[in-house]
Amino acid sequence: MSTVTQIPRLEAVALTKVYEDGVKALDSLDLTVQQGEIFAMLGGNGAGKTTTINVFLDFIQPTSGKALINGIDANERPLEAKKHIAFVSENVQLYPNFSAMQNVDFFVRLGGRSEYSRSDYETALHRVGLQSSAFDKKLKDFSKGMRQKTGIAIAILKDAPAILLDEPTSGLDPKAGKEFTKLIGELRDEGKAILMSTHDIFRAKEISDHIGILNNGVLVAQKTQKELEGVNLESLYVEYMAGYMDEVNTGQRLENHLSDELI
Amino acid sequence: MFTLIFLKELRDIIQSSRFTISFAACSVLIILGFLMGAQNYLGSLRQYEAAIEENRNQIAAETNWAQVDNSIMLPPRPLQALVNGISNDIGRTIPISGRGELRPQNTRFNDEPLFAIFRFMDLEFIFGIVLSLFAIIFAYDSVNGEKQNGTLKLCFSNAVSRAAFIGGKLAGSFVGLSIALLIPILIGCALLPVLGITLTQSEWIRLGLIILSGLTYFGIFLAIAMGISASTARPSTSFLLCLVVWIFSVLIIPRASVLVSGRLIEVPNVDEIASQKNQYRLQLFDEDREKMASFEGSEETEPQDLMREFSSFMGELAEERTKKVELFSQRLNEDYLNKQTEQTKLALRVSKISPSTVFTLASTELAGTSLHLQNVYLESANSYQEQYGKFIAEKTGQNSGSGFRMIVVSSGDGEEEPETLDPEEMPQFEFAGLTTEQVLERSVIDIGLLVLFNIIFFGGAFYAFLRYDLR
Repeated sequence: MSTVTQIPRLEAVALTKVYEDGVKALDSLDLTVQQGEIFAMLGGNGAGKTTTINVFLDFIQPTSGKALINGIDANERPLEAKKHIAFVSENVQLYPNFSAMQNVDFFVRLGGRSEYSRSDYETALHRVGLQSSAFDKKLKDFSKGMRQKTGIAIAILKDAPAILLDEPTSGLDPKAGKEFTKLIGELRDEGKAILMSTHDIFRAKEISDHIGILNNGVLVAQKTQKELEGVNLESLYVEYMAGYMDEVNTGQRLENHLSDELI
Repeated sequence: MFTLIFLKELRDIIQSSRFTISFAACSVLIILGFLMGAQNYLGSLRQYEAAIEENRNQIAAETNWAQVDNSIMLPPRPLQALVNGISNDIGRTIPISGRGELRPQNTRFNDEPLFAIFRFMDLEFIFGIVLSLFAIIFAYDSVNGEKQNGTLKLCFSNAVSRAAFIGGKLAGSFVGLSIALLIPILIGCALLPVLGITLTQSEWIRLGLIILSGLTYFGIFLAIAMGISASTARPSTSFLLCLVVWIFSVLIIPRASVLVSGRLIEVPNVDEIASQKNQYRLQLFDEDREKMASFEGSEETEPQDLMREFSSFMGELAEERTKKVELFSQRLNEDYLNKQTEQTKLALRVSKISPSTVFTLASTELAGTSLHLQNVYLESANSYQEQYGKFIAEKTGQNSGSGFRMIVVSSGDGEEEPETLDPEEMPQFEFAGLTTEQVLERSVIDIGLLVLFNIIFFGGAFYAFLRYDLR
C-alpha cells in the first residue's frame, strides 16, 4: 500500500523576519495548512499575524525561512504562487466609483479568471448574502459588512485552493460575523485551505481546525480543534492578551498552561 | 494584465467626479481659448487690412515718391492667435524709409493694454498652466491613494507584476485625461472654419503637433505626480510635493534662468546703444553742416540745375554719413546681439530643465511665435527695405532715408496737375515666415526633449514603484 503525501496548501518553514530597526516580527515560524483546513492565528497587536500574511503575499521579504503556497516559494516565485491564493483583508476596500459587479469583474479577472458571466457573479454575490439591489450600486455607498461580503465573493470566484483572511470579522456586527463564519466553514468543506488571523477567539474556536497563538513573532502554541476541546481558551487568551504571559517565559508558560488545561 | 489595469484605470477615471469637473473645466477653457483666439485673429486681420489699405491710400494721395511715408505690418496668422508666443509683444508696424535701422512699433498691447497684465488665454497657457495642474490633481494619489484605500494590497494579492500595474495605471490615466482634453480640442478645431478661419495644410499639421506636444507635456506631469505618489506614503504629502514641483517648473525655473544668465552675461543697455548711435549721428551731421555751408555750385548754371547739383551733393553727403552711421551701428548692434544671443542661449539651456519651458518653446516654435519671430520679421523687413530703397532711388533719383528730402516743386501757369502715385508700382511686402520644414527642424529638439522627459519621469515613477511598500 502506498501513501500519497499531499503538498500543504500553505506552509511556513522557519519563517523569520527581522526589520531594519532590529525588531523581530517573526521568529522561526512553522505552520502548515492542508486542503480543507482552517488555521486561525491568534495574538495581540504586533504579534506577527499580519506579518505572516504579508510574507505569504510577498509584500514583505522574509529574513530567512520560506513561505510556500502549494509548494511554491511565495517570495521567489510570487507571481506563480499568487495564482493559488485569494486574500480578504480586515477592511475590504474596493474601488468606490465602481459598482459591486464592476469591482467583482475587475478583481476576478485580475485573479486570472475571465470565463465567468454576469450570472456567475450574481450567484457568488447571492451566496455571500448581498442583496440583488446592491449589485449595481457604487461601492462608496456600501457598509463595511457589504464590502466584506463583496470581498469574499471575489475570493470565492477566484477559486484558489488557499485563502488568506486578515482579521476578517473585525468590525462586523454579530449577525454579519456569524454569516461570515458559516461561509468560511462552507469554503473549508469545499476543500479550501484557510489561514486566518483574528482577535475573535470565539469564532476562531468555533470554526478552526488549528489554532496557533503568536507572541512577538513566536508561535507559542499550536493546537488542533480536538486538543482544545474542554480547554477554556477564552480565559487563556484573555489572560494572554492582558499581558500576563509577558511577565514570565511566555512560550513555556503558555505550553504548561495548555497542558494543565488538557490534563 | 496590462490591458485589464489600463481599462480599469480608464473606467475609474471616467466614472469619477474629478473627471466630470475637469472635463467641464477643460471644455470651457479650451473652447473659450479657441473662440478667443479666433476672435483675436479676425480682429487683428481686420486691423491689418485696414492699416494696409490706409498705407495704400496715403501713397495714392501723394504725387511724389519722395514724399511717401511707407510702412509695413506683420500679417496676423491663425496659429499666432492660438499660441501667442511673442507675437503680441513685438512691434507689428515698421516704418520703411529705404535705408537705415528698422524700428518696429505698435505692439498688440498698445491697442489692448489690459491684456499686457492679464495676457490672452491661448493653448500654451491652457496646456502649460491649467492642464499640468489637472495632471497633478489626477495623479497625486494614484499610488499612495490606492494604498490608503486598501485596493493596492488587494490588487497585488493576485499575480500582478508591478510593471504591468504602474504601466497600466499611467496609460489609463493618460488616455482617460486625454479624452477630457481631446474632445474640446476637436470641437475647437471644428469651430475654426465655422468662425471663418481657414488653416492651410501646413498649419493644420503644426496645430496637430502643438496638441501632441501638449499631450506629451501633460504626460510628463502625470508621470511626475505618479512618481511622487509612489515615493510617499500619504496623498497629502504627495500633493504638496507635486505642487512644489509644479511651481518650480512653471514659475520659478524659467524666471530664474533669465536671472542667472543675466548675472553671468552682461548685455549693454538698449537705450545706451541708441544714445551712442544718436551722438555719433549728430557728430557727423555737425561735420556735414560745415560742408553744406561751403557748397558752391558750378558757375552760370540755371537755378533748377543748381538745385539738382545741390541735391546730388546732399545725397552724397547723406550716403556717406549713413554708411558711417550704419557701420558704427552695425558694430554696436553686433556686439549687442552677440552678447544677447549668448545670454538667451544660456537662459534657454538652463530653463530647459523645466518641462514647462520646453513645451513653451516647442509650441511657440510650431506656431511661428517663438523668439525667432522678431528676427524673421526684421530680416524680411530689411530685405523689403532694400527693394524699396532701390525702387525709390529709381523713381526719384535720390537715396531715400537720408533725412533730407529734396522736392522740386515747380509752379507755373498752364502746367498740368501732377499725377497721383499708383501704389501698385511699389514693391509689396510679403511676410512668408518660416516654412513647415524649418519650423519642424527648429522644434524637433524640444519635442524630443518632451518625449525624453516622459521617459525619464516614467522611469522614475516605475523605479519608485518597484521599491514601494505595498502593505
